Amino acid sequence: MADGEGCEATSAGPEVTDEGMNLNVDLKVKIGDLDLKNPVMPASGTFASGRQFADFLDLNRLGAIVTKGVSLEPWPGNECPRIAETSGGMLNSIGLQNPGVEAFCIGDLWWLSKNAPDAPVIVNVVAHSAEGYPEVIKRLEREPSVAAYELNISCPNVDAGGMAFGVDCTSAAEVVSLCRAVTNRTLIVKLSPNVTDITRIARSVEAAGADGISLINTLLGMSVDAHTRRPRLARVVGGLSGPAIKPVALRMVWQVANAVAIPVIGMGGITSAEDAVEFLIAGATAVGIGTANFTDPRAMMQILDGLGEWCKTHSVSVTDLIGSLSLEA
Amino acid sequence: MSGSLPAEVPVPPAAAAPGIEKVRITEHEQLADGIWRLLLQAPRCAATILPGQFVHLRITRADDHVLRRPFSVHRVRGRCIEILYQVVGRGTGLLSALPVGEERMDIVGPLGKGWQIPTHAKSLLLVGGGLGAAPLGMLAEQLASQGRHVEVALGGASADRLIALELFRRLADRVEVATDDGSLGHQGFVTVLAERMLAEAGFDAVFCCGPEPMQRLVARHAKTLGVPCQASLERLMACGIGACFSCIVPTRSGQMRACVDGPVFDAEEVCWGDS
Repeated sequence: MADGEGCEATSAGPEVTDEGMNLNVDLKVKIGDLDLKNPVMPASGTFASGRQFADFLDLNRLGAIVTKGVSLEPWPGNECPRIAETSGGMLNSIGLQNPGVEAFCIGDLWWLSKNAPDAPVIVNVVAHSAEGYPEVIKRLEREPSVAAYELNISCPNVDAGGMAFGVDCTSAAEVVSLCRAVTNRTLIVKLSPNVTDITRIARSVEAAGADGISLINTLLGMSVDAHTRRPRLARVVGGLSGPAIKPVALRMVWQVANAVAIPVIGMGGITSAEDAVEFLIAGATAVGIGTANFTDPRAMMQILDGLGEWCKTHSVSVTDLIGSLSLEA
Repeated sequence: MSGSLPAEVPVPPAAAAPGIEKVRITEHEQLADGIWRLLLQAPRCAATILPGQFVHLRITRADDHVLRRPFSVHRVRGRCIEILYQVVGRGTGLLSALPVGEERMDIVGPLGKGWQIPTHAKSLLLVGGGLGAAPLGMLAEQLASQGRHVEVALGGASADRLIALELFRRLADRVEVATDDGSLGHQGFVTVLAERMLAEAGFDAVFCCGPEPMQRLVARHAKTLGVPCQASLERLMACGIGACFSCIVPTRSGQMRACVDGPVFDAEEVCWGDS
């Protein structure tokens, strides 16, 4: 980690080039119809659409860019304070603030098509009703630069929709079926960890036509200021992320990967290449990086470089690592 | 950094792209109970930062501490940036324990939109409350070096907690102070001084930073007299670069982000809360 620090991060040149890095290392993975040059992508909501990170990293090197949630109409988000740091993580209750799909298409999506043409764009889709999801997708179907969709049925920070769809098998499947009917593009479903048995939800969305599953979204949490007796978030509760949730995320990725045949994108507290390798071993086909992007805006480049080094050192490809958990004594 | 730059790099007219830079603590001292002065060696930032901009400091690499902390830069001194801060929580508590020579921290910066100095403004009023006076330091230096008339209203809990009083006394044409306990100057709020000073002289602009209720009052007084007012607002931040939407400021033009649309805002644009 110390190497590569202290460089002048002007236009974000990674120290190791793609060519040098990947000469003998196969990092390629496949999610549905989507061929990814490597398995490293942002976790939705921590990266906006990537534009803000262009000063720090090379967007084109990413396996994919997963956007912040996009709704049909603009959403204002929640009151401040929207975040609170906790031990080993943070709580957020941003509330899916976004300018709506039309503004997204002519703004960030257009910018990405010009500035990050080598990174497939996965648009995270949000809605207040099951019927709302396919409406957003119908608009995005007109955009050639969209590679796939991630259905957000797991956000804990909105009153209507969001997590409500992701904690019930029937409603989760309904959202997926409605979206499946309007697109042939790769459909990923992001699941909530705030359920009794995540494998049941996973099987439901697989049966309804999902091509992949991403997990975990944030764990519902809360923080209290003892001195003022006030909640630290204006909305009282919010989603916990960061290294604190990694063991929960790993466990759920392992359970879901064993329960379904479609690929899993694992996320939850990944901050290093070794963390990413652990998720691959547990059964993830790709990994999402979230809170680590706040700690260090170059985090995904360091994880990508480190993953290449790992594969080279251990003479494995990424696909060799996927689901390779050894249960032998 | 380009090798062609002269030793003394002039302040560029437009904000420079932010970068990540390792920093080294060169000076660190407690000025008053819980108030600290930190000098960080950060040549890239020092050469490019504009008055009112901030840096996002990674205080520790410990796994249990995931968020950076935003700090306004008080002054630039050669290759160093000076930060004045108050210990308010875990992050600043950890920071205050770090010794001179520590070099594991890094900054993301320079960040944000700083003070906008109206080209033809001749006479300016700076209003600082508590640690809010910190981002006014660079501004006062720049205004004074341009030969403009500068007056300062400075407030704090007590005489020893008035931030950068000596600097303002050196640079400004007039400095008035207010303390909560009356240990120096007017006993009471700095807003009373600001209102009086605004009424006495014809200022072309007001720049203020401090607790939000204070800024709201200063903005109201300025508006009453038709004087343009800029306010530097504080918010909790996660990314500091405009991606996470944690640091929202409601404005007449919609929900703005303090980290990239601010921290300095046109006070008339801000929808001030009831706080």
